Amino acid sequence: MKRLALAKMVKQRLRKDDLVVCGLGATEAAFKEAAPVNPTYYASDPMGIWASLALGLALARPKQRVTLLAGDGDLLMNLQVLATIATAPVPNYRIVVFHNGAYSSTGGQPLAGKPSFSRVAAGVGFEWAHEARTEEETGGRLDELYGRPGPALLDVWLEDEPCGTAPPGPLSQVEVRTLFMRDIS
Amino acid sequence: MILGELKRAGIDLVASLPDQWLGDLIKQCEADPAITHIRLAREDDGIGICAGAWLGGRKAALVCQNSGVLLAVNALGGIGFHHQIPLLVIAAHRGHFDDGQYYQMYKGRICEPVLQAMGLPHWVVSNKDEISIIGDAARQAYLNRLPVVVLLRKKALQ
Repeated sequence: MKRLALAKMVKQRLRKDDLVVCGLGATEAAFKEAAPVNPTYYASDPMGIWASLALGLALARPKQRVTLLAGDGDLLMNLQVLATIATAPVPNYRIVVFHNGAYSSTGGQPLAGKPSFSRVAAGVGFEWAHEARTEEETGGRLDELYGRPGPALLDVWLEDEPCGTAPPGPLSQVEVRTLFMRDIS
Repeated sequence: MILGELKRAGIDLVASLPDQWLGDLIKQCEADPAITHIRLAREDDGIGICAGAWLGGRKAALVCQNSGVLLAVNALGGIGFHHQIPLLVIAAHRGHFDDGQYYQMYKGRICEPVLQAMGLPHWVVSNKDEISIIGDAARQAYLNRLPVVVLLRKKALQ
């Protein structure tokens, strides 16, 4: 399964007032290619901090659903954040892991270990954490993910596709941040 | 008193990692129904939580030891400078003359020089009479759109 297919499947399941936090690199490239319409906050360095940023957003906006699109290398850098999320009062928070086992945007170097994010999440207290490997399985699991309260995590195994380096856009992160805050205010 | 300062600054979300000196404050955060208290396993996750909360219109603080400030330097820089997001860090200032453990000493030596090198505003609260610095520091953070760190000595916390 390709990451663009996953990005499109997530996009199809978002409601009009849903918020998205999107990891950097290949995950960002895939979600942008899927042309999302929901307000989306795109990550920058440092890797590892976006699951907690999405948690803060979910705590600030309890009436809106927040989805984190997490790159596997990004999430692996700060795995303990799943323990913090597991016991936080965030039924509106869901995580979809784009899992290809490699750092795609730096040349495809393999990740350390063979992490199962669903097993880690379940191990630190997530009530719902699963993995999916085919489009059919992913579609069904995404429906379950959005059909129940969070916090919940779906780990989707993907092909290891190369990812080119995107040129910087016309807006700085501060300008993007300002527009995002205006969009959701 | 410290929690009162946070609440007066509009902060109703606190992410914490314990320190011996912070026990009372964390207990108060946990017990106060007006405060959402989030338990951290690592301090830079608190920077992310505070930043995300501010994006959504909610004010938050990270409560931790100064070693947590050192650990969170990359997050403070990446969030504070690159995104210009304000947040407040309340940290126990371990490792000075008022501390009594070998393993705390390096924190007292390097925390303030590191913050100075980063160009992040920070304030030291030496005793309970100076607690109002916390509210001023929060206002400074929101006006500057930058994190501000408040380091609390033992007498300010116990």
